[in-house]
Amino acid sequence: MAMIEIEGLRKEYRRARGGRTVAVDGLDLSVPEGGVFGFLGPNGAGKTTTIRCLLGLVRPSSGRLSLLGADVAHALPSVIGRVGSIVEAPAMFARFSGRRNLEILARIHGEGDAAIDASLERVGLRDRATDPVKAYSLGMKQRLAIAATLLRDPSLLILDEPANGLDPAGIVEVRELLRSLGAEGRTIFVSSHILSEVQQTADHVAIVAKGKLIKAGPVDEVLATTGTSGVIVKLADLEAGRRALADANIPATIEGGAIRADVAPDQSERISRTLAQAGLYVSELRPDTVDLETVFLELTKDKGVAD
Amino acid sequence: MRLLRSEFLRARSRRLVPMVIIGGLVGIVIGMGIVAITATKPSAAEIAQAQASFDKQVARCERDIAASQIPVDELPSGATDPEAYCERTWSPQFDAVLLRDLDTILQGTATFVILLAVLLGASLGGADWTSNTMQTLLTWEPRRVRVFLVRALVIGVCVFVITVFLQLVFAAVTALVASTRGSAGFLPSDFWRSVALTIGRVSAVSTALGVIAYAIAMIGRSTVAALGALFGYLILFEAVIAGFRPTIQGNLLVRAAIVVITHQRILDQTAFDGPSVVLLDVPKAWLVVGIYTLVLGALALVVFRRRDVT
Repeated sequence: MAMIEIEGLRKEYRRARGGRTVAVDGLDLSVPEGGVFGFLGPNGAGKTTTIRCLLGLVRPSSGRLSLLGADVAHALPSVIGRVGSIVEAPAMFARFSGRRNLEILARIHGEGDAAIDASLERVGLRDRATDPVKAYSLGMKQRLAIAATLLRDPSLLILDEPANGLDPAGIVEVRELLRSLGAEGRTIFVSSHILSEVQQTADHVAIVAKGKLIKAGPVDEVLATTGTSGVIVKLADLEAGRRALADANIPATIEGGAIRADVAPDQSERISRTLAQAGLYVSELRPDTVDLETVFLELTKDKGVAD
Repeated sequence: MRLLRSEFLRARSRRLVPMVIIGGLVGIVIGMGIVAITATKPSAAEIAQAQASFDKQVARCERDIAASQIPVDELPSGATDPEAYCERTWSPQFDAVLLRDLDTILQGTATFVILLAVLLGASLGGADWTSNTMQTLLTWEPRRVRVFLVRALVIGVCVFVITVFLQLVFAAVTALVASTRGSAGFLPSDFWRSVALTIGRVSAVSTALGVIAYAIAMIGRSTVAALGALFGYLILFEAVIAGFRPTIQGNLLVRAAIVVITHQRILDQTAFDGPSVVLLDVPKAWLVVGIYTLVLGALALVVFRRRDVT
């Protein structure tokens, strides 16, 4: 069963001065069970609107959405107890303590102190639980919001830009937390415009731009779509090296003080051997990896949507 | 039930709630403290003389009522019998702090009690929008009708309990000051019943106004918007329209609230000839307050149910 199923989602907002803005335009998406699913796109791509539609906060103009097999329009209350979510910035009462904020939410589903303590422990906030939220750093607020989502022991977590505004240490904390939650068998649906961040945690990704789906699938599959992977080689005589590789039928070009061989990284040994046989010794040999950012730019360059 | 408990915890945790209670208590202590300090306690002779005069006036009043054969149910001021009516209508002839004035004072302080209720209703309704926690709440309980109604219930209960509590404290402090610095005598036979009913009516109207403020806060998605719109309507619009079209008073919220609290009907002052025309009597006033509350509540519910939460 797909944890999230979206078919033909469209959402238009009326502008204050007339006219309409299309935030999501015919989006289709299927999120498989288990692991981390990255929902990627630039600001304004429609990620948050899609999440709001999924959680019943926003009424779609058209399309069908389901969460955990339940139709969002009619049966959301029956599954909401198994879904934890954060939409945009974590919204908590600033003057209440972290614990009190969790208590208010926990009571809605009859969760007790044990669940609150476990959640706080999980995100490393137990020592600061009685402090008012206004005294928390952004990273702590984000962790508190994640703690709130864990109160119900959800099978699906929907997190909108959880690393937004965090410092590097905070980003690493959130990344580790997401990885561990995904490893527990939960499905983590995480939206982000920081593509490199998601690449390190996600198993599957979907790339959206201007409200439309550009590409979706396992990360490796999406990365392979551009076909731009290669191997970077550094040595003293670049021109001699390029010729030696060309003689061995390895296409190569000289780019920015190095040779870029257009072969898969697993051909590194062949490159090294070819150059050594020609009496050329490499000082550096590394894969020219493709990242999601490159893929995203490649996929969207014709549509003029990349940031 | 769980949502109800959560909403009560949320309301209890708001700083405004203890601030309203403490502010109300401080106001009562300061106000009655000033009254106690400036009051002069009457002597026993003065009280005895006033009592004799008072008894004579009441006896004459009862005789006049009996002679005029006015039916009991037509006695004004909500009196239950001629004796209670006369005891309430005639005041003892001396200047002192009198416990018997408590009923009238409670009606006079109702404005402040209602203001506190409006503040509570608007704040408890608007805070979630200001802090954006409505979004969080709806991801826990997506049934918006339930969220709206449970919160309206919580606000209603909170406002009713707090306003009853503050009025009871006020009544107790007034009784204390009157006993020590004035007189606790000259009480009509139905005095405590009348005081209890006044407290109940003031709290009922406060609850209705608190729920109306909550409804407007849910429509405007802001505490400030609710307070601005409500006071703008009540103070400016109703006052202006009542000035230009006096006969419309029977449909105005402020007038209805006044009639409910004072139990005094409003007559058409423009009808100079013929029998007096009642613009707003007590049952209709209750109905007007109820209709305003229900209509605004229903409107807020429809808006809350349909509008996107972004």
